[in-house]
Amino acid sequence: MLAKLALLLCAFAPAASSSDVPKNDGWVTDLGDMLTDSEERSLEALMESYKSGTTHEIALLTLPHLDGEPIERLSLEIARSWGIGGAAANNGALLVVSRDDHELRIEVGRGLEGTLTDSVAGRIIRDVITPDFKRGRFEPGMRSGLMAMHAAIGGDYGPIERTQSARRKSSSTIRLIVTILVLLAMGLGNRGGRGGSNWPLWFLLGSSMDGRGGGGGRSGGGFSGFGGGGGFSGGGASGGW
Amino acid sequence: MNTPNDNLRHSAPARRGAVSRSVLIALALFVLLGGCSALSYNGLVDKDEAISETWSKIGVQYQRRAELIPQLVETVKGAANFEQETIIAVTEARASVGKMSLPSDLSEGSEELATFMKAQQQLGSSLSRLLVVSENYPALRANESFLSLQDQLEGTANRIAVAQQDYTEKVRSYNSKVRGIPGVFIAGAMGLERKTQLEFDPVNQELPTVDFSNFGDE
Repeated sequence: MLAKLALLLCAFAPAASSSDVPKNDGWVTDLGDMLTDSEERSLEALMESYKSGTTHEIALLTLPHLDGEPIERLSLEIARSWGIGGAAANNGALLVVSRDDHELRIEVGRGLEGTLTDSVAGRIIRDVITPDFKRGRFEPGMRSGLMAMHAAIGGDYGPIERTQSARRKSSSTIRLIVTILVLLAMGLGNRGGRGGSNWPLWFLLGSSMDGRGGGGGRSGGGFSGFGGGGGFSGGGASGGW
Repeated sequence: MNTPNDNLRHSAPARRGAVSRSVLIALALFVLLGGCSALSYNGLVDKDEAISETWSKIGVQYQRRAELIPQLVETVKGAANFEQETIIAVTEARASVGKMSLPSDLSEGSEELATFMKAQQQLGSSLSRLLVVSENYPALRANESFLSLQDQLEGTANRIAVAQQDYTEKVRSYNSKVRGIPGVFIAGAMGLERKTQLEFDPVNQELPTVDFSNFGDE
């Protein structure tokens, strides 16, 4: 069974890495590992809610480094090939952050160039994002930057889907409780020398695992792929910190 | 009751069937070929249109860049003793660009095109020099309207670079179609020719990355 799974994974691996363009992974693609899992999920919920309220698609990508490529070229290629924005409206934008180069860029789709202009994008980078980044506060910088992009483009947020983060949070507290119980039980078991009476704990542990499996699907937040527009002509701004 | 007469009577429709079948095949081939060449011709025309469209996009961005420069020059002049040569170079390049309009003759050896491209390149490099020099003026770095102009100019430069890249790509795709089959026959019959690639200025393409190396390090 495991061997089969490994084989399956191996078969898929080359297909995923064959293209130069990094694979998309939802609203937030954190290849630079700059966000914790829960930060990523909460940003994804924010973008999903913005998409459902306005149909605009704003995505975030972090990279470990640029490999010597100009960030402008990279972000354009990625935004085009991911097809961010609606097919006719081209109402997408992409925030790219390169961790090691300390560079970032806001790439703006043709449909949003009128509201998220180059100089607005430049101001967001200078006045909103980089002040946080300079102090090593990456998640707050990205979050306020994305919200500033939303504000510039306009429109309301849709209802925020809280199922994802809420369920995750409860399942992680359950796991914490279970871990404490297990540790306690082990202590008791050692003292009493009888392991047979531990079955309720294993049952609890098992059910918490089930809960994790159910809530764990990361696409459950509603991301169903970009609109396929990808109409980008190089609008936006770049900066560094 | 197989009489010779019967045989004759049977073979006549058979022969007529064979004739009509070959006519049908010929007709089908004709339609297929015609359809193919029409499609291929239409494809070439579309690609040709896309090239012109990208060229006019480049023109729009050149125009926008030229429009932003007077404002930039005014702002920069406000900064105490800004390097005069740099300002003069930009102003002159802007003036010579202002006298020209986007050439429509893009064939190889077009003099109008050569002078136009040269003037645009001059403007691009003097402008990028001015923006680099401005790094040394803290008063400008703190001036919001200068920063906004810089954002717009860099955005324009990036758009020019992107449109140029797209142009090159579209010409390449057109040429490979003109030289391939069946395009080569159609292009020959319709008098369509290969297009020459334009030599774009590498300075333009690097402009957006020049500025940020020591941005905000003070």
